[in-house]
Amino acid sequence: MDIQNIQGYGMFFLTIFLTVILYWYILYLYRSEKKGERDFEKYGRIALDDNIDSPLVEDKIASERDNTKEQNK
Amino acid sequence: MQSNAALEYDYTVAKLFTYVTILFGFLGMLVGTILALQLAFPELNYLIGEYGTFSRLRPIHTNTVIFGFTVSGVFATWYYFAQRVLKVSMAESRFLMIMGKVHFWVYFIGALIATITLVFGISAGKEYAQYEWWVDIVIVIIWIMWGVNIFGMIGIRREKALYVSIWYYLACFLGIAMLYLFNNMSIPTYFATEGLGSIHHSVSMYSGTNDALVQWWYGHNAVAFGFTVPIVGMIYYFLPKESGQAIYSYKLSLLSFWGLMFVYLWAGSHHLLWSTVPDWMQTMGSAFSIVLILPSWGSAINMLLTMKGEWNQLAENPLIKFMVIASTFYMLSTIEGPIQAIKSVNAIAHFTDWIPGHVHDGVLGWVVFMIMASLFHMTPRMFKREIYSKKLMGIQFWMQTTAVVLYFTSMWIAGITQGMMWRAVDEYGNLVYSFIDTVTVLHPYYVIRGVSGVLYTAGFILFAFNIYKTITAGRKLTEEPQFRTPMA
Amino acid sequence: MFFHWLEKNPFYFALMISVVISFAGLLEIVPNFAQAARPLSTEKPKTVLELAGKNLYVKDNCIACHSQMIRPFKSETDRYGKYSLSGEYAYDRPFLWGSKRTGPDLHRVGNYRTTDWHENHMRDPKAMVPGSIMPAYKHMFTNVADIESAYAEAVTVKNAFFTPYGPEFKRTRAAWEAHRPKVIADAKKIADDMKDEDVKKAVANGEVPEIVAMIAYLNSLK
Ligand code: HEC
Ligand code: HEM
Repeated sequence: MDIQNIQGYGMFFLTIFLTVILYWYILYLYRSEKKGERDFEKYGRIALDDNIDSPLVEDKIASERDNTKEQNK
Repeated sequence: MQSNAALEYDYTVAKLFTYVTILFGFLGMLVGTILALQLAFPELNYLIGEYGTFSRLRPIHTNTVIFGFTVSGVFATWYYFAQRVLKVSMAESRFLMIMGKVHFWVYFIGALIATITLVFGISAGKEYAQYEWWVDIVIVIIWIMWGVNIFGMIGIRREKALYVSIWYYLACFLGIAMLYLFNNMSIPTYFATEGLGSIHHSVSMYSGTNDALVQWWYGHNAVAFGFTVPIVGMIYYFLPKESGQAIYSYKLSLLSFWGLMFVYLWAGSHHLLWSTVPDWMQTMGSAFSIVLILPSWGSAINMLLTMKGEWNQLAENPLIKFMVIASTFYMLSTIEGPIQAIKSVNAIAHFTDWIPGHVHDGVLGWVVFMIMASLFHMTPRMFKREIYSKKLMGIQFWMQTTAVVLYFTSMWIAGITQGMMWRAVDEYGNLVYSFIDTVTVLHPYYVIRGVSGVLYTAGFILFAFNIYKTITAGRKLTEEPQFRTPMA
Repeated sequence: MFFHWLEKNPFYFALMISVVISFAGLLEIVPNFAQAARPLSTEKPKTVLELAGKNLYVKDNCIACHSQMIRPFKSETDRYGKYSLSGEYAYDRPFLWGSKRTGPDLHRVGNYRTTDWHENHMRDPKAMVPGSIMPAYKHMFTNVADIESAYAEAVTVKNAFFTPYGPEFKRTRAAWEAHRPKVIADAKKIADDMKDEDVKKAVANGEVPEIVAMIAYLNSLK
């Protein structure tokens, strides 16, 4: 098999692979929102409520605290 | 990190970068206008001896507008909005603050020196990668400093979720870093021999067709990661903030992000259609360029839909007008590019003035408009003053929009005329026109483009004046405006 | 969930972006590298004088208006000659294909223009071709070409990329001093076909004005 063939196959399968991931991602985005697991649109608020004392959408410090609690359990 | 009530965002570095954005914008456009006029009136080539010819000035134009204007605009907006969406102030980290200032000064001085090297013709010869090896090293250092700030700010953030604009800026950082490094690989000849010749001179690690492939993989994606990705990031922050409307579909913005990341890199070989690169790559370049319409229009439509039900703002707020027309020009150039990438169209369009026409409806209509709108939005908040004049802004808007339209229409006609004349044959199959016929016929279009350059640059001077007056004489604001930027 | 985790971890997120964007380059450019770098068997590397001319082509950035890529269309082969082949470029560093033809393609200009013609044209394009918008390059008649850097370049590409330059190309200053007369001899051949007395005089004094190197380069484009 020469280099052109390998390139061709590599190209083909990697493109399919990445396309699958992309579609999986679309499914994931819409499904997890439908099932109520996550709400993506709320992140849009980050740009609007951006004063230093605005409410956080997801609090990093608080979530790290929770994580360590879980690990200590 | 303590949260005290008096904590405020710190815009010191953002302000510095704002000033140089305007400075380099003006210089770059001035040189662009000179170039345009030189093609119409060649006598203008001899204003400053050997340093003023079209060919010497052209890289100064391209590098100043790309690495001077656009990149400092990206830095200015980064140092402004990153704090806000990560909800952490630069003032909270002395290290990042100092680093930011060093970043600015190294950048500014580096950019001046880099420009001087181009004036003297110290050039590695590849488009948008003309800087010689040691300038490249300085550029890499500057870029790393920005990276330190990006990851530093992300590291100390309070808001856990990364807003989508941050994604885009991160991609800009990574993309340009990778492309720039690989494309500029070269060996300084002075050090490869016993100190023979000039210390500046270097030779590319790639040759011929390989060099071309690497170069356009770089060149095309420098456009992608410099003119598209961060500007999309910009509009995703500034349009919602200015209009008070959240992004129409946050999910769509994430999807188009990955779409752009994946597809863009393949399209580079559309610069090399009909050349000696292997056929399958040319076909890939064509095909992926057409697929690229999807993520590009995905972003653009998302921006326009953000204004759904709020179109009255378009009439009331000139800033919204700037941003909406910018997304419209983005749509225009992302449909035009794929058309030019179709092989049969490319056979006519390549090498002609249609290409600069395409470049400039993107950069003038999309990149510059978006950066100016962002700076207009930032200035009142950074300096706590109202915009000096709404009226001036309106005049500027119409001057520059007219200029863009003049630019691309004249270059479309010029390009297609030239492309057709090159290939025109008579009934016996002989070429009809000598080359010089296809040059002189373009004169009127070159004149129109010169006029458009003067108009656009004049508009930019109005912009600079307005910002200057805002900073020095705008009415003082007592509190930061929430959404709509106040203007007199 | 994978995506959720990714979005929350800036480091892996950045890694993911890098993977996605390097994918195309890896597949497109790397595998073909060795093949595309192969020269045509008839292709010879440029002489030092021609290399100096190439460096002037870069310095004065003729690429802003000229291409060196003849595409395989009849209209182009009629105008410029045989279409370009990959192997012809194998020694070109950097490649100089260009992306804009404000002026004509120059890939085979050596076939149909002469030293004499170039001399007049570079000094005043309008005099040779009425209506030309090409700038005059008068400064090339007085500036001195940097042939030493060109020699250093030849040695570098010989050592680093095995470009077939002869055994006399060495890293030392002595080797350069030994090679210099050959470059001057080449320059003299060009200058003999020129009219400009100052240029002839300079070459006789062992200096190479830029225009001589430039013309040597243009003549080598065949
Ligand atoms: C502003 C654009 C421009 C630049 C820069 C430029 N040229 Fe030209 N060149 C032209 C145009 C237009 C023509 C066609 C008219 C003519 O022959 O003068 C041309 C013609 C030529 C020709 C004649 C080709 C032929 O087939 O007749 C040569 C040789 C040439 N240029 C060499 C150069 C060199 C060498 C440089 C760099 C030092 C250069 N040009 C820079 C625009 C340019
Ligand atoms: C007043 C505004 C401007 C004018 C009059 C202008 C004019 C020009 C001219 C005459 C050229 C050379 C075209 C040729 O070779 O035929 C050019 C090239 C270019 N300009 Fe501008 N320019 C302007 C602003 C800008 C801005 C703001 C940007 C980017 C942010 C930009 C990016 C470029 C690029 C990338 C090229 C190279 C195009 C190519 O290689 O095809 N220009 N410009």
